[in-house]
Amino acid sequence: MTQMLSPDMTMTETVTEKTKIEVKNLNFYYGQSKALKDISLSLPERSVTAFIGPSGCGKSTLLRVFNRIYELYPKQTAEGQVLLDGKNILDRSQDLNLLRTKIGMVFQKPTPFPMSIYENIAFGVRLYENLGKSEMDGRVEQALKRAALWSEVKDKLNASGLSLSGGQQQRLCIARTVAVKPEVILLDEPASALDPLSTAKIEELIDELQADYTIVIVTHNMQQAARVSRQTAFMYLGELVEFDRTEKIFTSPREKRTQDYITGRFG
Amino acid sequence: MMALCVVAAGIGLAWLALILGALVYKGTAGLSFAVFTEMTPPPGEAGGLLNAIAGSLLMTIIAVVVGTPIGVLAGTYMAEYGRFSRITTVVRFINDILLSAPSIIIGLFVYELMVRPMGHFSAIAGAVALAILVIPVVVRTTEDMLNLVPNALREAGAAIGAPRWVVIRSVAYRAALSGIVTGILLAIARISGETAPLLFTALNNQFWSSNINAPMASLPVTIFQFALSPYEEWQQLAWTGALIITLTVLGLSILARSLTGRREDR
Repeated sequence: MTQMLSPDMTMTETVTEKTKIEVKNLNFYYGQSKALKDISLSLPERSVTAFIGPSGCGKSTLLRVFNRIYELYPKQTAEGQVLLDGKNILDRSQDLNLLRTKIGMVFQKPTPFPMSIYENIAFGVRLYENLGKSEMDGRVEQALKRAALWSEVKDKLNASGLSLSGGQQQRLCIARTVAVKPEVILLDEPASALDPLSTAKIEELIDELQADYTIVIVTHNMQQAARVSRQTAFMYLGELVEFDRTEKIFTSPREKRTQDYITGRFG
Repeated sequence: MMALCVVAAGIGLAWLALILGALVYKGTAGLSFAVFTEMTPPPGEAGGLLNAIAGSLLMTIIAVVVGTPIGVLAGTYMAEYGRFSRITTVVRFINDILLSAPSIIIGLFVYELMVRPMGHFSAIAGAVALAILVIPVVVRTTEDMLNLVPNALREAGAAIGAPRWVVIRSVAYRAALSGIVTGILLAIARISGETAPLLFTALNNQFWSSNINAPMASLPVTIFQFALSPYEEWQQLAWTGALIITLTVLGLSILARSLTGRREDR
């Protein structure tokens, strides 16, 4: 990796594509303390965007604004705009539950519901769609196939979701998210609790899913960001330091702080 | 130090063993089919405990049916909707006081509240007194068990677009189910031996009665009355009744234990 600072000051090439999510002047507060400082960036449709940065830099916080999951807790507030297809999701009139069917999320630790594998997937679908038995069976199968889990669980769909291994549970969570047909999938360090083999499977899956979904992934693992994403945002102390095509971030970043982080000098 | 601890533990266990031993020895002597099929007898005659057992069962069932939904819903408010609110702290404090309130006070309270206005003792007043004892136990265990459900699971439920109440009903309750049921069983175990609150409310009844608006017999009060009597037959029935209650509570505790154990296995 080059140690030279790139003099290339051209703006990102990605702005020419269709924007799925646009963040404008976003500030975020935990009580009094400011966790995100004036963030603005555009995420292109049907591609993988990675958020990297040291712990506490705000990358997960930013991700959690996109589906407003932070609102489960008091004293967390967001200011500014987050536009999904041009519509501000931070607007009070936005139906939260509908928003979350459009923007799915997979968490760091696998979170299967305490029910069968089949029910784990049917649960979310049933909330907004009224499907017959065979249609639901089809939807469950399709979701499990999409998450590369079908062949492993097709004979035990009635077993508890908790009986699966960690990697399988995480793919079940991805299947559950895909089943409700979202447009965006948020991944909050989806592989950090998994072994290398399961991690490889998840990464392969992310690569396949980007054909149909806009994917945002928060990761601690820089190699992972380099492998799976098309553009990368580097965040530090609540600020967006640099946002560019992934190969650019990892080979010739504009900012010294980015350079220092990806070469392992801090963080 | 260790020796002292062992001796202390031994003393505690010895009393328990003596009590249980006496109970089993004296109780089983009077245990017969008639205990479960005949009414409480007049002094000097043979009989059973049927009306007392039935009365205890009926009042316990009413108390659980009334107290459990209130307790579960209040606990749900504290652990879910009002987790971060000040009211929850206040309610938890008051609930803890209620949890350790002497049951005779509850009995007197219901006496003032229901028995005096109605002008007579009644099974329904007894059931209400028992329900007031059920509520704090269920509130406490429901809140504790729901608090043990990881927040990640609630976030996951919300993240697929499930409304708050669906997350609570289908995810949080399901994850906490065995714990909540355990709390209800422990509440039943607690009220099945209560005497004081029934003395002021349901009183007692020598005869069969299924009228909840009239005094009703119960095992603890019958034991209380018969054990203090000079009649040998009554004393024997009191021992047998005590054994029945003890075995019931033991059975409920074992059931509660096995449910909790199953949750930990998972």
